[in-house]
Amino acid sequence: MAIDASYLLQLMLNGLALGLLYALIAVGLSLIFGVMEIINFAHGELLMLGAFAMTFALPVMGLLYWPALAAAVVVAMLAGLVIYEILLARLRPDEFERSILITLGLSIILIHTVQYFFTATPRMVDTQYGFAGIEIGSIRLTWTRVIGAAVAIVAFAGLYLTLRFTQFGRSMRAIAQNREAALMVGIRPRTVARNAMILATGLCGLAGAALAPIQLVTPYMGQFLIFKAFALVIIGGLGSIPGAVAAAVALGLLESWIGGFFNAAWQEGAVFVIMIVVLMVRPDGLFKRGGMRVG
Amino acid sequence: MSTTALELEAVTAGYGDNPIVREFSAHLEAGTITTLLGGNGAGKSTLLRAIYGTNRLFSGRILFKGKAIERLPPWERLRRGVGFVPQGRCNFPAMSVGENLKMGCYTLPGARHEAAIGRMTDLFPLLREKWRTEAGNMSGGEQQILEMAMVLLLGPSLLLLDEPSLGLSPRMQGDVFAMVQRIAATGVTVLIVEQNVRGALLISDRALVMEQGRRFMEGSAAEVRTDPRIRQAYLGGNIKETAA
Repeated sequence: MAIDASYLLQLMLNGLALGLLYALIAVGLSLIFGVMEIINFAHGELLMLGAFAMTFALPVMGLLYWPALAAAVVVAMLAGLVIYEILLARLRPDEFERSILITLGLSIILIHTVQYFFTATPRMVDTQYGFAGIEIGSIRLTWTRVIGAAVAIVAFAGLYLTLRFTQFGRSMRAIAQNREAALMVGIRPRTVARNAMILATGLCGLAGAALAPIQLVTPYMGQFLIFKAFALVIIGGLGSIPGAVAAAVALGLLESWIGGFFNAAWQEGAVFVIMIVVLMVRPDGLFKRGGMRVG
Repeated sequence: MSTTALELEAVTAGYGDNPIVREFSAHLEAGTITTLLGGNGAGKSTLLRAIYGTNRLFSGRILFKGKAIERLPPWERLRRGVGFVPQGRCNFPAMSVGENLKMGCYTLPGARHEAAIGRMTDLFPLLREKWRTEAGNMSGGEQQILEMAMVLLLGPSLLLLDEPSLGLSPRMQGDVFAMVQRIAATGVTVLIVEQNVRGALLISDRALVMEQGRRFMEGSAAEVRTDPRIRQAYLGGNIKETAA
């Protein structure tokens, strides 16, 4: 079978755009795990809230993409703040099991609440860009995909600079690396945890808002993505931001190629096959040491 | 005239529902070094944590410079001048020395960071040399110096040290004790828990001895190190008058 180079490139670009959006979700999960030592099972639902916020903000704003995107991110951040203050702030670092049950319960409540009010019927989201895009020869990318990938890259750059060069970001890395040392230098764990939650849910809301014009929006859309995101965090190495980004981008590419050349059913299983192999061969993940760590 | 830096009144403290330190009272004069002695599990580290506020205080009062601090969170005690270097490696291992020192300035206004860090790198030139080195890649002694510097950045007037020489070579232990003496000479009150009892007593003014969470004995360091019970229990039956 001859492989058309432009087809391969098309798949690669689609995969790259998808992978960068996966990375936004995985990085947020990694940040929450590093700072609060919990796995947020409701993280996918914050993505869904971001996407639903986009479906409501766009018509209100005359289909203008950027203001709607900003509104969706703010909605997700506010939801993160409320979830933290009402539920997560009451958890101690050693209450891992309790955190699983609370966030899992919250995830189910959010899904069914959204389904009750807005039904499970998938929604299509239109923007000012419609289906317009870039065409180079036979390769075509919609603006919504290009912008989605670009905002993800800008978000990662902003996150890197924040974690590396500001006390706000360094305090998150600090508390993830050594909680007792953080107390020694006067860091307030609750404040840092709240900031991390807001930042992580903002990234997740951004992913949801950017995905909304690319795929159908449903109350269950976060569920499909969250388990992939867990797998990516494990593959990248728990607490490793570059690891989560690299694993997510690689998965986006892999899924795109698998979907392009084989039966699409294999796409969904690929990440879990890789996760199991990584856990067997390198239990600490691919990026355990070095780099920008939050755990 | 001496002034009291720290006063403990019937402090009972521990973890969860388990009190470990019971009804412990003591006072520390400003500018002195006091060694806290006791066997494993006596409650020495628990007492230091209670003074800094990182474990549970069941009852009792903790007065720092005459004011009650027992209800304050650790960062507020730090702001008032109580510094604590816990046992074991207590830095941010995946951050550079420079980033660790910047984190030490966390509670200071940004405008004061550079001057505070400058004072520490003048005091410990090693930290300037290792500025870009990840803390986790330094030797135990170097990490200990970094940890002390992270706390000293804020200019505490009471320094709580939990096993500062743990895991260090005899030579590095001597360096750490000399550093503690230099710090105390600037007027800082030091309360030290130390596995090298001999070395700690030789640099201390006073000593407190704990047994099973309670105060067993208190006196000058010279009195305590010549006490037959202490010599038998902690000093192998003899003591030489030279620093370890």
